[in-house]
Amino acid sequence: MAERPSSRRAARPAATAPAAPHAARPLALVYLAGWLIPGGGHLWLGRTVKGLVFLVMLPAMFVIGLALDGRLFPFTPGDPLVALASLANFGSGLPYFIAQAMGFGAGRALAPTYEFGNAFLITAGLLNALIIIDAHDIALGRK
Amino acid sequence: MNTTSHLLLMALFAGCVAVVGGVLLKDTPRQQARTAAEIFGSLVGAALVLGWVLYFFPL
Repeated sequence: MAERPSSRRAARPAATAPAAPHAARPLALVYLAGWLIPGGGHLWLGRTVKGLVFLVMLPAMFVIGLALDGRLFPFTPGDPLVALASLANFGSGLPYFIAQAMGFGAGRALAPTYEFGNAFLITAGLLNALIIIDAHDIALGRK
Repeated sequence: MNTTSHLLLMALFAGCVAVVGGVLLKDTPRQQARTAAEIFGSLVGAALVLGWVLYFFPL
């Protein structure tokens, strides 16, 4: 039992050797691609399956949120919770701007699914932020 | 969307988060499926437990 951690530590460098960093791809562009197109950073970095799953799932969550009468919150610094929700919505990237341009996301507070819609919309943006951080790690060769 | 079933919507939400979480956190399909199942079970299970707690101790 006492030897186990040291033996695991000894085996670790070979087992989880970091991949080579993607030096040819500027980090800022990886972030931008990942933000605008959910999964775009992963696709660009060659993680095709992960990228495609994100490319399908996040816009799907966004569309479900809109279909459930969720709201795309305006950025209002005077109301911190609304401002945070707005930032989370903003994290969805291109789907956010398309929905805004098409006039979707007004929200219907009296709809029974309003809060679920907001949960889908906000979570889609926050998950995209996590995915961008994952793309950052891949770009640096940490994963 | 036609459904207003909160249980169905909660399961749909948990399923979406679980798929993204599993794929994000793990690298092999088997690990991803296992992690996604764990996330889905945790989310749905926690919601059901909290729902029953609030039933007996309403705010």
